[in-house]
Amino acid sequence: MHIEIDEIAKEFGATTALKPVSLAIPSGALVALLGPSGSGKTTLLRILGGLEFPTSGRVLFDGQDATGMTVQERRAGFVFQSYALFKHMTVFENIAYGLRARPRATRPPEAEIQRRVSKLLDLIQLPQIATRFPSQLSGGQRQRVALARALAIEPRMLLLDEPFGALDAQVRKELRQGLREIHDTTGLTTVFVTHDQDEAMELADLVVVMSMGRIEQVGRPQDIRARPATAFVRQFIEA
Amino acid sequence: MFDSSFQEPLLTPTEGNRHPWRPATEESPLVRRILIAVAVLGLAVLVVAPLGVVFAEALAKGAGAAIASLASPDALSAIKLTLLVAGISVPVNAVFGVAAAWTITKFDFRGKAFLITLIDLPFSISPVVAGLALVLLFGANSLIGGWLVAQGFPIIFALPGIVLASVFVTFPFVARELIPVMIEQGRTEEEAALTLGASGWRVFRTVTLPNIKWALLYGVLLCNARAMGEFGAVAVVSGKIRGQTATMPITIEMMYNEYLSVAAFTLAAVLALLGLLTLALKTLLEWRHADQLSAIRRH
Amino acid sequence: MALSLRIQKSPMPGFRLGMGITLAMLSLIVILPVGALLAKGASYGLSGIWGTVNTPRVWAALYLSFRLSFFAALFNLVFGTLLAWVLARYEFPGRRLIDALVDLPFALPTAVAGIALTTLYAPNGVFGSVFKSLGIKIAYTEWGILIALIFVGLPFVTRTVQPVIDEIEREVEEASATLGAGRLYTMRRVILPALAPAALTGFALSLARAVGEYGSVIFIAGNLPLKTEIAPLLIVIKLEEFDYNGAAAIGLAMLLISFTMLLVINLIQIWSRRRIGHV
Repeated sequence: MHIEIDEIAKEFGATTALKPVSLAIPSGALVALLGPSGSGKTTLLRILGGLEFPTSGRVLFDGQDATGMTVQERRAGFVFQSYALFKHMTVFENIAYGLRARPRATRPPEAEIQRRVSKLLDLIQLPQIATRFPSQLSGGQRQRVALARALAIEPRMLLLDEPFGALDAQVRKELRQGLREIHDTTGLTTVFVTHDQDEAMELADLVVVMSMGRIEQVGRPQDIRARPATAFVRQFIEA
Repeated sequence: MFDSSFQEPLLTPTEGNRHPWRPATEESPLVRRILIAVAVLGLAVLVVAPLGVVFAEALAKGAGAAIASLASPDALSAIKLTLLVAGISVPVNAVFGVAAAWTITKFDFRGKAFLITLIDLPFSISPVVAGLALVLLFGANSLIGGWLVAQGFPIIFALPGIVLASVFVTFPFVARELIPVMIEQGRTEEEAALTLGASGWRVFRTVTLPNIKWALLYGVLLCNARAMGEFGAVAVVSGKIRGQTATMPITIEMMYNEYLSVAAFTLAAVLALLGLLTLALKTLLEWRHADQLSAIRRH
Repeated sequence: MALSLRIQKSPMPGFRLGMGITLAMLSLIVILPVGALLAKGASYGLSGIWGTVNTPRVWAALYLSFRLSFFAALFNLVFGTLLAWVLARYEFPGRRLIDALVDLPFALPTAVAGIALTTLYAPNGVFGSVFKSLGIKIAYTEWGILIALIFVGLPFVTRTVQPVIDEIEREVEEASATLGAGRLYTMRRVILPALAPAALTGFALSLARAVGEYGSVIFIAGNLPLKTEIAPLLIVIKLEEFDYNGAAAIGLAMLLISFTMLLVINLIQIWSRRRIGHV
């Protein structure tokens, strides 16, 4: 799905999180929102997911205005930094959650839910953990379960907030590859937020460098490396 | 998985704002309003109305009649007795609470969980059963009680019994407020003071006590309110002797049963005011010293 | 004392003094009296206890006490959780006052609550007359007892649930919404299960308090044998008749039933905690 951000601004009381920013994300791209904390990248992601409402500006999905759409209507697969797994549900119940939450008319039959969940468990390469609870999983496993749960609703796009932030270096490397593979298999337009420039450069097709609520530069990793547009970008990618 | 057999049809949003946008973690304004109304109305009927009745009945024949009823010998002796009982049992419980919390939080020993369970036990025992247990132990028919009566020191149907009953029902109050606060604060400050050469008593007075004083006051307040208001346990052990072992709550019962409505409700209003004062002070403490008291709520 | 021998060496002073005071007080106030009760029960013997308890009047009292306590705790479970939610999540004028008022049943002596509730719900009382015109009698019936038991147990659920609501991660609720769940579904499947262990604790506390309650109930109960006589009152009556064996037997029966109930509730909680992991 093609996403267009049209002059989006966001204020929280007196503080400005986003100055008006515009950005076009081509369908099927894997995009990194890269910047230090406080740069507005998470706010932008949350606006795309419908978790925040912009102070001004519009969001367009495939050319249609989606600004006023509720979270539920957007069907954006969202992976939270803390993963936000449901602690009292098994892995299976977590992944099946979005399907079971549908109104009866569009809810798949139980056998279909079973089939889909086990397919997703295969996709994240954790076929054995369906009956475990989140507290019994490692950090890397939790992240992959959160990803599978987001994919179960057949999302129109995938939004990830610091998906590797809470993991140690070794696991982080493995899971980067995992995300790339899942993106390539599903072909979903994917946006992830990160403060780690290596991660953004290695993984993304398109990197959006942000600072102080502003987009500093948009480009392919190699272009940003070769021709940083501003002093901030140069400094940030060299750090 | 990405076959479209069960694909939900894409919802096409209509242009503009159909309904005002609302965060995903909030209920709709209508639901909010209904829930707030139910909460406020429920609390008004269940809690505020009984409180209001106490004052309305006390003042039913005017403030003069109410004040005059407090000057009756029965009322005066009840007030004196209740103050005396609280004056003994609250300090006793404060000392116990500090000692127990100190022992439990500053040292590691086997059986700690069991000790805490024993301290909490009075919360799960009916006050009437507590009074019964005291009567069985100290009553004139018992071994200890019989001997004490022979020595001219009766416990049951006398002041010591009332104090014991009051201490029993308020037993866990102070320790319970202190333990979570002291766990949270750890032992390092005391250990630092010890390495600086302070004596044990000095460490307690200059390091521990300032750190727990608001929690201690909080516990003492709750303990005092309960000690002054205890009815069931005291009813059993006191013998309800008018002018001698009738505390304020017991006197309220007697007056009420004798249809002395104004007198009963005036005495009740005094206790209710004490309860309100306790609540106000407690709220003020929670507000001002949230940092120290937050541990209590979490445990 | 076995407790003090097991202590690890510690530079901290005051162990002997602290433990000494603690154990001395605990023995005098709790262990000896409760021990005396148990000893009385033991000397009376199982058949003696059974003989006392197994009469229609005692059974009726125990059944009344536990049944109404259960319903009162159930009401408090629902209303207390709602109250906790409103106080933790909504901002409205008077919220602080309401928050403070929740504790009023703890601060108001039971005898005061008892005469106030009776006056309020008596046939000529403010609420009682309204119910009377509908043909319902509240005071001196089971309804009156139920209202008194609701009153004394009201704060427990709210006070155990409120801090848990404060600790729910907003992201978990947001995750539910991004997965397509409406607010009601999120409430039912995500929020309420997270509150359940704390709510159950509050329920148990409320239940235990109601079962043992005496002061606020006896005024409004009517105290008719076999009809509106609660178990604690029966103990008081036996004591007034100097029937110590009978009083001890009923007291022990109450303790036994209460502890069994609390044990079951604790087991449910341990089971649910183990499932959810460290919450």
